[in-house]
Amino acid sequence: MREKTKIWKQMIQTSRWQTRLSALVMGSGQFLYGCRIKGLLYLAVEICTIGYFAMRGMGDIRGFFTLGTQTADPWTNTPGDNSVVMLLMGLLAWLILAGFVALYIANLKDAYRLQQIVDRGERPERFIDAMKRLLDQKFYALALALPVVGVCVFSILPIVFMILIAFTNYGGSIVPPALVDWVGLENFEKIITLSQFAPTFFKILSWNIVWAVLATTINYFAGLGLALLLNKDCVKGKAIWRAFPILAYAIPGFITLLAFKFMFSYGGPINQMIRDAGGVAIGFLDLDAKWTARWIGLLVNCWISVPSIMLLATGHLSNRDMSIYEAARIDGATKFQQFRRLTMPYMIFTTTPVILGQFVGNFNNFGIFYFLRGGMYMDGYFLASDTDLLINWLYNLSIDNNYYCIGAAISLIIFIITSIISLTVYVRSSAYREEDTFQ
Amino acid sequence: MKKVIVTMLAASMALGLLAGCKENTEEVSTNDTPSSEVAGDAVTNQIFTGELEENVTIQVLENDTAISKGYFQELIDAFNKEYAQYGITAVDANMDQYLDLANDGPYGYGPDVLYQANDVIMKYSEGKHIYPLPVEQLDCYDQVPEDAWKAYLTDIDGVAYTCGVPVNIQAPMLYYRKDLLPEDWESTWDKDGNQVPDMVESWNDLYAFSLARHEEDGSKYGYMKAMNDMYFASGFLFSYGAYIFGNGNTDTTDIGFAAGEAEKGAHVLQQLASAMNEDCIDDTITTNAYSRIADGTYFATMSTPDMYSTFIEELTKVYEAEGLSTEEAETKAKENLVMTGLPKLPESGDLTEENPTLKEMVAMGGMNGYAVSAYTKAPNACLAFVDFATSYEMEMKRSQMLGIAPARGDVAAEAGDVSSILFARLKNNDIVLMPSVEAVSQIWVPGQTFFIDLAKDAFRLEDERKYKDLDAMKQGLNEMCQQIYDGIHTLQ
Amino acid sequence: MKKHRTPGSILDTIITYVILLVVCAIFFFPCLWLIMASFSKTGSIYSFRGFFPTGFSGATFVKLFTDTTMYNYPRWFVNTLFIACMSCIIGTFLTILTAYTMSRFDFKGRKHMMKTTMVLGMFPSFMGMTAVYILMTQFNLINQHWGLILIYAAGAPMGYLTQKGFFDTIPKAIDEAAKIDGATNFQIFCKVNLPLSKPMLVYTALTSFTWPWSDFILPKLLLKEKDLYTVAVGLMSLDETEFARFAAGSVFIAVPIVILYFCLVKNMIHGISAGAVKG
Repeated sequence: MREKTKIWKQMIQTSRWQTRLSALVMGSGQFLYGCRIKGLLYLAVEICTIGYFAMRGMGDIRGFFTLGTQTADPWTNTPGDNSVVMLLMGLLAWLILAGFVALYIANLKDAYRLQQIVDRGERPERFIDAMKRLLDQKFYALALALPVVGVCVFSILPIVFMILIAFTNYGGSIVPPALVDWVGLENFEKIITLSQFAPTFFKILSWNIVWAVLATTINYFAGLGLALLLNKDCVKGKAIWRAFPILAYAIPGFITLLAFKFMFSYGGPINQMIRDAGGVAIGFLDLDAKWTARWIGLLVNCWISVPSIMLLATGHLSNRDMSIYEAARIDGATKFQQFRRLTMPYMIFTTTPVILGQFVGNFNNFGIFYFLRGGMYMDGYFLASDTDLLINWLYNLSIDNNYYCIGAAISLIIFIITSIISLTVYVRSSAYREEDTFQ
Repeated sequence: MKKVIVTMLAASMALGLLAGCKENTEEVSTNDTPSSEVAGDAVTNQIFTGELEENVTIQVLENDTAISKGYFQELIDAFNKEYAQYGITAVDANMDQYLDLANDGPYGYGPDVLYQANDVIMKYSEGKHIYPLPVEQLDCYDQVPEDAWKAYLTDIDGVAYTCGVPVNIQAPMLYYRKDLLPEDWESTWDKDGNQVPDMVESWNDLYAFSLARHEEDGSKYGYMKAMNDMYFASGFLFSYGAYIFGNGNTDTTDIGFAAGEAEKGAHVLQQLASAMNEDCIDDTITTNAYSRIADGTYFATMSTPDMYSTFIEELTKVYEAEGLSTEEAETKAKENLVMTGLPKLPESGDLTEENPTLKEMVAMGGMNGYAVSAYTKAPNACLAFVDFATSYEMEMKRSQMLGIAPARGDVAAEAGDVSSILFARLKNNDIVLMPSVEAVSQIWVPGQTFFIDLAKDAFRLEDERKYKDLDAMKQGLNEMCQQIYDGIHTLQ
Repeated sequence: MKKHRTPGSILDTIITYVILLVVCAIFFFPCLWLIMASFSKTGSIYSFRGFFPTGFSGATFVKLFTDTTMYNYPRWFVNTLFIACMSCIIGTFLTILTAYTMSRFDFKGRKHMMKTTMVLGMFPSFMGMTAVYILMTQFNLINQHWGLILIYAAGAPMGYLTQKGFFDTIPKAIDEAAKIDGATNFQIFCKVNLPLSKPMLVYTALTSFTWPWSDFILPKLLLKEKDLYTVAVGLMSLDETEFARFAAGSVFIAVPIVILYFCLVKNMIHGISAGAVKG
């Protein structure tokens, strides 16, 4: 930290007027040192940003704090503020401001760097060369620019928005055109002080963790097993065999879920067969079917997820270095030993992100029990059923009621818990620490 | 006699359309006007100036049945012809019939006029997403009973507004197959000799008949209806004194599903379930009733009037498969499938009782109608459309083509039995209209859970039963009320 | 491969095939049932005798494509195809690029980025929907297919970790060799790594095609007009009595993905890495 301030101090003291001018008019230093195009680009950035802030940015930022002052009333034809839009656009303005500040600092540093180059009597890099460098050494910057912007706008912005919502009173009867206000930690206090809340939360959380672990394990090993099975030399017509799971993959998940719900219902084909055979219909998914329903959920989830894991594992398996296996065979390793010592470590390494992704996906698997067994509240649960995951409970609590702010507060809590778990696992995993293991 | 006069009056008004009816209704509404109404009128008059916007297109959201049966096309064609001189065109909004105006409207993506259920429409009124309407100006104002208007009444800052125009009543009806009655029913199942089979007049007899029918042939059943459907099941509770919310369905802190002797209703439901099979526990019957009534597996079920055409279609298909021509099959289907009012309930709440004292059954119902979006650019044109669509002729056509029960008295009187039955029931307060508050969305899941549990109980082993007596049922109902209360209030 | 067969290997083969048959039956059973339902004559799932419908007919499919006044399936199908293809192309490109960059380059903040993306995936997605909806209203992208494509394509790189895991296993030695020959990083990516990662490319393309293809929540949120619907939204809007149509629509929606799979399958199986190092 101190190092950095020192560098900045030095920069201020030793900079010439051209460099200093860059602090006021971005790109002017670059322009004067001979990098015309770069200078003009920086200038364009500054003009655009100032233009944006003059046009609406300032208003947006003010709106971010006030969240609107005038209530709209369509009945009297009064136009008013939409708090939620103001919050979001304010956020976007902050995002743009942050981007601008980053560019501004880069501009200053760049101007100083150019000054040093000129001082040394060298020729600054031409624009065309800089562009070329962007395709080579700095390829990563070019490649990541688009994805990063996309992710910022469509993933990070909504998430930050929802996190901010947790600190407002948005929801219930306070939805546009009514005005939303900042309320601080009120929502969190509400959640903590609710006596019915904690027991259900921990009950659901523990089932949620059990579910995520079980589902991930079952899916992963079933998918891997299937891929290995289909990878065997003795299997002929692999493409045809593989097509069956692909068929399952090709039908949209929610259709599959609805079909399965019907199949396991009292009037569904499975019960019909049981009845035809003289048995009594089984309530696979009904009120009393706690663990039956849970297992059906796990299996249906497996049915849906296995094909994609199988595809992925097939891709990875084909990428193995077969010479190691050759060597192992010569050394007399059995098939099982080969699997345990060679295949497993390799697969676990390459697919750690997949396992984590699966874990996250399963942890937040909304569809399974919403479609299979929605619409029930059980004894001992506060507005939830014994198969509901946290995300289903969140939905019951917040969306049915439109209590967005409470929903956001709960999801923030869930988010913190899950991200701590997965982050620790990820940071400790070999895929993160030793990325070169299988080079 | 009175009805005939009213009908004629309305018919003449319908011919005169807008211009004619304004004069008429103004006289009516000036009789006694409370001050709050004046304030309300000031608001509505400011919006609906009476000057038609010219050369505008209004987007109308109708329900899918009206579109698929071709009624909606006729409606907009007739309207467009009538209003071509002003350049007003109505078009199909081409959107999801269950869309949420509160979500789309503020950003400019909703329809201008929408046809939805009263509880949905009134949800919008809280956020002022729809306009209050000068309903006295409408042609249908006098024809629609006051109770129907009440479904659209809202109170904002102490002023009463009406935000929708009732079109048709939705309430449960009994559907049964006349040809599946025992051949000698006139001697064995018509104790009072009124030429109406007893099993469609009283639940006790329907229960007895259901048991008998299943006894005779194990694959056949009598009355079948999914128990988990709160909309239909709650009527049994209402009949014995339950209600949804206190204070005329406005006080959401008072949840009344366990009020009065509601447990008797629960007992009736459980007895009915025991005469069905396990299918009644989940959605199975909801989806298979159409084909199972058609193939004769079920004798009767409960459904809303707008499903009539679907039942007929299925039965026609069966007859066609038996070799009849399409026309013959349809005639035969219409003859054999009967839609009628609900049977009466025993006051004791025991379906096995012989010679019980009977009482009318109360049922949950809804009122579908039109509303005008507050985000429309042409409110007056929209109002003209609503007025046109609720005129005598259009509602008559609607009732004929879709089989719905119209909210207009004059149409109801002419449209046939079903309409007049429902209309009378509404006037009699035998239909509990869906509350017009947003909190109503919280009653479904707790209700459904209780009814599933209740139905499941009929199939549990004797010693595992949860609802063995009335007290246990009362307890269950109380828990359900508590859950609803939690759902509405804990996070407020 | 060794040609002589020991009793052990024959037994192994038999067991393998038995397991495969069982697995395929499990996967095929619900699909078969859906296919049967779509070909059932009466159009009702309750006219089944045991597992099979009482009569077969292709009328539902004819109806699906000709009776379009209420449910314009062909239109929905074209919409979906357009959205899925565009998102697939853009999304695959972005994902592969991101994964490659994260695997091959070491730059400031790389590990932070990896951790951040990991964590971002944890957020319950439907909570962010409100924001996405409002954002799209502000950009005027409601009722626009491009709006959806934008979201799908922009969201795709979030799942880059899988692809990164794959690139991590491609030896860097290949890159070094190319670098010595004077190739720039961009050229190395295009000419060396991309051809090597065909299986991964296929997998990515398939997943980024299926996501928009079967997603229901986003199009439901952003497409208000029935004519703009995707198949998933359209199928959900079907009336409950239209079961046969629902089944037929669901069966037909699977067709393009199965075709896509058969087109791409060749590229998935061939091992590459071993050959590449040796050569």
